[in-house]
Amino acid sequence: MKRDVDVLEARTSGAPFDPRMAPRSLFMLGALLAVGVFFASYGSLSGRELGFLSARNLSLLSTELASSGVLALGMLLVIVPGHVDLAAGSAVGLTGGIAAMLVIDPAGLARNLLGLPMAHADGLSAGVAMLVALLASMAIYALMGMCVAYQRMPAFMVTLGGLLALKGLHWKAIANATVPVAPGGASNALAALTTAYIPMAAAWLVSGAVFVLLLVASFVRGERTQRARELWLLKWVVSGQLLAIVLIVCGRYRGVPVAALLLLVVALVVYVLTEKTTLGRYLYAIGGNEQAARLSGIRVERTTVVAFVWMGAITALSGLLQTSYAGSSTTTIGQLMELDAVAACVIGGASLKGGRGSAFGVLFGALIMAVLLNGMTLMAVSPEHKLIARGLILAFAVWIDLRFARRGR
Amino acid sequence: MTETQVLAPRLAARDLDKRFGATRALCALSFDVRPGELHALCGENGAGKSTLIKVVSGIYPHGSFAGEVLVDGVAQRFRSVREAERAGIVVIHQELALVPALSAAQNIFLAHEPTRFGLIDGARMVRESRALLDKLGASIDATRPVGELGVGQAQLVEIARALHKRARVLILDEPTAALSEREATALFAVLRELRRAGVSLVYVSHRLREVFELADRITVLRDGCSVISLQARDTNEGELVRHMVGRAIESVFPAPERSAQARAMGQREPPLLSVRELSAADTAGAVTLSALSFEVRAGEVLGIGGLVGAGRSELLLHLFGAWGKRLSGTVELGGAQLDQPTPAQCIARGLVLVSEDRKEQGLVLEQTVGFNLSLAHLHTFARAGLVDEARERAASTRQAEQVQLKPPRLDLPVGALSGGNQQKVVLGRALLTRPRVLLLDEPTRGVDVAAKAEIYALIAEQCRAGMAVVLVTSELLELIGLCDRIVMLVDGRIGGSFTRAEATEERLLAAALAGRRGGAPSRSEEQRAP
Repeated sequence: MKRDVDVLEARTSGAPFDPRMAPRSLFMLGALLAVGVFFASYGSLSGRELGFLSARNLSLLSTELASSGVLALGMLLVIVPGHVDLAAGSAVGLTGGIAAMLVIDPAGLARNLLGLPMAHADGLSAGVAMLVALLASMAIYALMGMCVAYQRMPAFMVTLGGLLALKGLHWKAIANATVPVAPGGASNALAALTTAYIPMAAAWLVSGAVFVLLLVASFVRGERTQRARELWLLKWVVSGQLLAIVLIVCGRYRGVPVAALLLLVVALVVYVLTEKTTLGRYLYAIGGNEQAARLSGIRVERTTVVAFVWMGAITALSGLLQTSYAGSSTTTIGQLMELDAVAACVIGGASLKGGRGSAFGVLFGALIMAVLLNGMTLMAVSPEHKLIARGLILAFAVWIDLRFARRGR
Repeated sequence: MTETQVLAPRLAARDLDKRFGATRALCALSFDVRPGELHALCGENGAGKSTLIKVVSGIYPHGSFAGEVLVDGVAQRFRSVREAERAGIVVIHQELALVPALSAAQNIFLAHEPTRFGLIDGARMVRESRALLDKLGASIDATRPVGELGVGQAQLVEIARALHKRARVLILDEPTAALSEREATALFAVLRELRRAGVSLVYVSHRLREVFELADRITVLRDGCSVISLQARDTNEGELVRHMVGRAIESVFPAPERSAQARAMGQREPPLLSVRELSAADTAGAVTLSALSFEVRAGEVLGIGGLVGAGRSELLLHLFGAWGKRLSGTVELGGAQLDQPTPAQCIARGLVLVSEDRKEQGLVLEQTVGFNLSLAHLHTFARAGLVDEARERAASTRQAEQVQLKPPRLDLPVGALSGGNQQKVVLGRALLTRPRVLLLDEPTRGVDVAAKAEIYALIAEQCRAGMAVVLVTSELLELIGLCDRIVMLVDGRIGGSFTRAEATEERLLAAALAGRRGGAPSRSEEQRAP
């Protein structure tokens, strides 16, 4: 009872950041720090050169995080209106497979998928291949979204079907072979997704300019109270320092990874979609109370399909990143990624019943999952134990959320 | 019957007091049922009948109300329905609590299955169920799934289940609401048989004819108090209706003349909303609205009354494109046809609904006041999908002030507000879309008196500005105090229509009760508007 009152007060007192997310944000930050410190101290204790906090490892971590983080952010768009996407992992594999096949052997793809007898065709450019994969994924998700919205089939079942069917399509597309993302070890745009780095000079210049621009814009808008002005200053000083640290760490390895930048862009896009657009509002309304949304004149079905199409686009990007990171499309690409994405959403505070969750939280959830995985890999934890640990942490996160961070309806 | 009067009551309630927040649902209510007595409970919607049932049957556990419940003179402290049932008090709710996929026998023995060597003794279940059903004179196959039975038969299965639990007090909440004439007659025979066997029966019904046909005694509830208990043979329908209504009209309603002025203005123009011979069916194909015709002009409030289940909410939802299938008839909004629209189209054309159940159908409870206020109008604040939050906040702030939200803050979670404030948010959302016709379904349910008066004033203010309002309410006082014209619905048809001058509570209630299938011979003919 007492706790309810406390939460209520925390919610209604004009806290500087979203008061509803405050307790759990702090908790997640603490958890992340704890995990980070644990792995960092383990690395230094064992006296390894390539410890958890080494620039090389952090750079790798950000690239690893990119594909799973992107997928989790997309998943949020489907979870907020109260659905789920179990087909995401298979779609990741399929889109990467299509792109790789189009680059290496388009005729083979036509033969494998459609049974068209084509003699030979030159590989498409990586850009075109990626675009085709993106459109294919969006079309597939539009179809699944329509099944969910108009035919009222449960998303769980529709996407479970998608999980199986898309995996089959993926295997068929690559004929169960290993298809490299670029011919003969050369590089192209697809491979560059996870191998390219932005030179430090450009990174400093651009990020510095953006930072100053945003700062000025924010300053011009102004804050009313003394307290708000102090918080404003604190916010910008801290974020400026964080940016500098990130850039310095990047500079000690090869530069800013393009993959990490893409993740940042997707996070920004999903943030704007959920917080700043009518689509986002409608998704929260549908997830929170579908009947109320309908009676408020929201076109629930159409909105749901649009969310699925966005998920399709983001899944395709995740698939391209994941396949690029692996260097080739194989039958195991994308396996279990849908569950990691759902886990990241839940750890990040999204409700599977819909209506709750934020891009920021999901990014955090994905980061925690990625850090754990990366740290355990450095500690040479065996794969079976990694799976067990991930499962336990997911269960623990949900329990913490229900116990401490949420008020029932 | 004279000898029953000397016996101690089987079930008695003394000085019951039950509050929901600021609302007092029961106040100093006392009530008793004697062994072998059939006692009818009457009262308007919201008079406290359901609350009383929930108190004596353990749904509201001991401690959540003041006063005491006695069985055979012994004070009881029911913490659950199960404990009440152990004491012999069983309720048969309007919504039957049966599992459709299980057989009649399985339902009767649900959670009390007889076992043999640790396994369920199916044969014994069927055997004993047959015996119970035979005792009720019901020819029901005990092995058939309940889902395949009619409502009347399903009800008998529930009664059989109650008997299996050795019910000594059987409480029936509107048992005939969904029954045909023939099924109802069969039920009455069963009830009389049970009474002969010494079971005490509490019977809740709006149908006065049934009450007089069955009951030994009748208790009238009003505003959570027991007004009077009468021997059925000593009273009549007229007296009963008078007791159900009897109170003075409060002065919370805005003065009618101003609204009349606006109405006169509206009379010169064609009606804003005109419904002709409208019939509609629910998704199962059952005709729920038949041949409804009415008009609403600018500046006018049309009241729609009737009992629960008369089709009032369905009518509003159907006009708004959110319920049922149109069978025939036309709806015109501002002179233009409105055929099977979607809610989005209705809002775009100036017709908006404030639905009955704000928690289930109105609000996104986890979100803030601001989120909920602007939801229906959000697209107008957006360019290329991006919401202009400054404009949105400005409009929502104005709207929050207009509906007198207290405090007028947009950042509070709407679930933490009082009922009155929540209702103001839903109303504000509707008004923000600048409608020409406003459909209101029970706009003051679960709202405290002060907020009620503010909502009434708001409705009057909107009418002065030329809006047309259709108001559905269960409160007769609201119909009389707020509406220019009143239509009473009875089983989806118009059972009577009145002008404000003609309407009295007695006339309205009589029109709502009469004309119903199985209702009293219609006295409302003379009261119908010329």
